[in-house]
Amino acid sequence: MMRTKDLSYWLFLAPVLLALSMVVIIPLLFGVYYSFTNWNGIDVGGFIGFENYLNVFKDKEFLDSLWFTIKFSVVSIILINFFGLALALIVTSKIRTNKFLRTIFFMPNLIGGLILGFIWQFIFIKVFAGVGQVFGIESLEGWLSTTQTGFWGLVILMSWQMAGYIMVIYIAYLEGVPTELIEAAEIDGANPFQRLRFIIFPLVAPAFTVSMFLTLSNTFKLYDQNLSLTAGGPYNSTQMVAMQIFKTAFGQSEMAYAQAKAVIFFLIVAAISLTQVYINKKREVEM
Amino acid sequence: MNKKKLFSGIGAGILSLSLLLTGCSSADKNGKEDSKGNVTLDVFQFKVEFKKQFEEVAKKYEKEHKGVKINITTVGGGEDYGAALKSKFASGKEPAIYNIGGPQDVQDWQKKLADLSDTKAADVALKGTLDGVSKDGKILGLPYNQEGYGFIYNKAVFEKAGIDPKSIKSYKDLENAVKTLDAKKNDLGLKAVFALPGKETWVTGLHLSNTFLAPEFDNNVLSAFNAKKVDFKYGDAFKKVLDLQNDYSVQPTVSLDYSQQVEELFSLQKVALIQQGNWVYGSIAGIDQKFADNGIGILPIPVEGYKEDAIPVGIPMYWGVNSNKDKNTIAEAKKFLDWLYTSDEGKDTVINDFKFIPAYDGYDASKISDPLSKEIYQYAQDGKTIGWTFMGYPTGWGQDQLGVQIQKYLSKEAKWEDVVKTTKEAWEKSRNK
Repeated sequence: MMRTKDLSYWLFLAPVLLALSMVVIIPLLFGVYYSFTNWNGIDVGGFIGFENYLNVFKDKEFLDSLWFTIKFSVVSIILINFFGLALALIVTSKIRTNKFLRTIFFMPNLIGGLILGFIWQFIFIKVFAGVGQVFGIESLEGWLSTTQTGFWGLVILMSWQMAGYIMVIYIAYLEGVPTELIEAAEIDGANPFQRLRFIIFPLVAPAFTVSMFLTLSNTFKLYDQNLSLTAGGPYNSTQMVAMQIFKTAFGQSEMAYAQAKAVIFFLIVAAISLTQVYINKKREVEM
Repeated sequence: MNKKKLFSGIGAGILSLSLLLTGCSSADKNGKEDSKGNVTLDVFQFKVEFKKQFEEVAKKYEKEHKGVKINITTVGGGEDYGAALKSKFASGKEPAIYNIGGPQDVQDWQKKLADLSDTKAADVALKGTLDGVSKDGKILGLPYNQEGYGFIYNKAVFEKAGIDPKSIKSYKDLENAVKTLDAKKNDLGLKAVFALPGKETWVTGLHLSNTFLAPEFDNNVLSAFNAKKVDFKYGDAFKKVLDLQNDYSVQPTVSLDYSQQVEELFSLQKVALIQQGNWVYGSIAGIDQKFADNGIGILPIPVEGYKEDAIPVGIPMYWGVNSNKDKNTIAEAKKFLDWLYTSDEGKDTVINDFKFIPAYDGYDASKISDPLSKEIYQYAQDGKTIGWTFMGYPTGWGQDQLGVQIQKYLSKEAKWEDVVKTTKEAWEKSRNK
C-alpha cells in the first residue's frame, strides 16, 4: 500500500490532477472571475461586483426557464425511474428473450441527443399529425406548437432515451439480490407485491441513489434535445436554463452576465443533487 | 527507496511530463512572415454557400501571387460565427481577414479592425453601403455583396389564377391577390397561399420588422444603432402584413421552420408565396432546378403610408482586416480584397461563380444569372428599395425580443399592443444601459 507521503503516489496522480484542473477547476475559477466583470467575450471591461448576480434574480426570462426546467425535471425523473425499473424487472424475470430485450431497450441511448431531437420532431409534427388526420383525433395535430405539447414532447423524448440507461443500473442491483432471501420470503407467504416492496426495494436502494443522481443532473442540464426538438419555441416557453444561458452569452453577447447565471445554476444543481444523495443514502440498508 | 518504487516513480514522472509536453508541441507561426518573405493570410468567414468557389478563387490567387498563402476557415450561421470568432481570437490564432455584421460589431471589434479607406474597393463601393462600418472617418469593412428579400411567388400559380404580378403595387392589390388565390387554392393544388415560418425569428423579427422600422430610421443602419427608442410608426402596416401572412398560411405557423417553408412547401409548389430573399435560390434549385430558373419571381413587401412597391436591399456582411497583424500582412490582405472585387478576374468570379449581387460599381449586371438576384438588382437600380437597418437593432433585440413576442402573438398568447409595448421597453432598456 502506498502512503500519501510517497512521491510516486503524487506522480501517479499528477496526470489526472493536471487534466482535471485544466478542464474543470481552472475554467471554473475563470468563470467565477468573469461573472464579476462586464466581459463581452472580447475585452474584459471593468470589475462590477455583484451587479450581474443581482440582475439574474430580476430576469424574468431566466426565472421562467428555471421554473420550466424544474417542472420538466420532476416529471422526467419520476417517469424515467419508473420505466427504467419496470423495464429492469421485465428483463430480469424469466422470459426467454430477455438478453435481446436488454439490447433493444438500451439502444435509444446510443443515438446522439441532437439527432434524437430531430427524429422526434419529425414524429411529433408529421407522424402525429398524419395519425391524427386519419383517425380524426384533433389533439394529435399541431404538436410542439404550444407550450403543453412542447413540454410533453420533451418529457417523452427524454424518458424514451434515458429509461434504457437507467434500466442497466437497476439490472445490476436486481441481479445482486440473493435468491435465498426471495425464496425465504416466498416460503413465509409473501405475495409478489410484498416481495417487491419489502425485500427487493430496500436492497436496490443504492440503485435509486445512483439513478436519481444521474437523471437529476441530466435533466437539469439538458441542452441538445431541447435545442433540436423545440429550440425553446413557441415564444421561448419551452426554453430550459442551459439554453437560456447559451442565448444570453452568444445571442446577446452578454458573456459575463451569462457566466453569473451559469454560476447560480451550478450552485442550484449542486445543492439539489447533494441533498438528494444525502437523503437517499440514509435509506440504504446494509445486507 | 527500493527498486520497484524507483521504477514506478520514474514511470509516473514520464507520464505526467509527456502530458505537459504534448500541449506545447505546435508552435504558432500564424500570420507572421517567414524567412523567405512569404505571407500567410488566415481568412475566417461565415458564408457557407460559397465556400467551395471561394476556396478555388483563393488557390488561383496564390498561383498568380507568389509568396502569398491563403488559409480559409468557414463557420456557417450568424450566431455560431460570432461565437467561433470570439474563441478564435481568444485562442491567440487571430485571423487576418474576418467578417463583421454592422455597427455593433464595429463597436465591439474596433480595436482589432484596420482602416480600409485606402483600398480601391472602398472607392467603388455603392453609395450608402459603407455607412454601417464607418467610424471616426475610417472605413472598417468592405461589403460582401447585396441581398434583398420580399415575397417570392410561384409564376405558374399566379398565371393559372389569372393574376398579373406586375399589377400588384400596393397592400390592397396584394390582399386581393391573396384572396383570389385562397378561393381557388384547391384547383391550384395549394395547401395554403403563404407559409409563414414563425419559428425562424430572423424572418419575422429581423427581416419583416426591418421593412416597417427602416422608414422611421431613414433607412440608415446608423440611425437605428444610435436610436434611443423605437416608435413603430408603421406598426399598423406591419400588423396587417403579418396577419395577412398568418391568416392565409399553412398552420400552425409558430412551429413552421425554414426548411418546411422553402423546401417542403414552396419548392414542391404547395404554397404560392413566401417571405424570403435571393439566398433561397440555391435551396430551391437543389430540389427543382427548372422551377428555380424559370418559375419564381419576387414581389415587394408593401408598407402602407410609406413605399408600397419597394424591396429591402442591404449588405449582409462585411470583410474586416485585423489591425493586430504586421504591416505587410495587412497590406497583402487589402490587396487580396481589392483584387477580388475590382480586378476583371475577380469581378467575373463574383458574378458568375459566387452568384452575388455586386455591391460595387463597375459590374456588368446583365451577367447576373439567377432570376431573383436579377430582379432585386433591377429594384436597386430603380431606387425602389428600403434599407437594411436590423444590424443596428440592439444586440439580440430582433430575434430574442421581437421575434419571440411575435411567436407569442401568433399563438394568441399576446395582443399586438403588448408586442409593441414589450419590445419598445426592451429597446429602451438596452439602449440606456
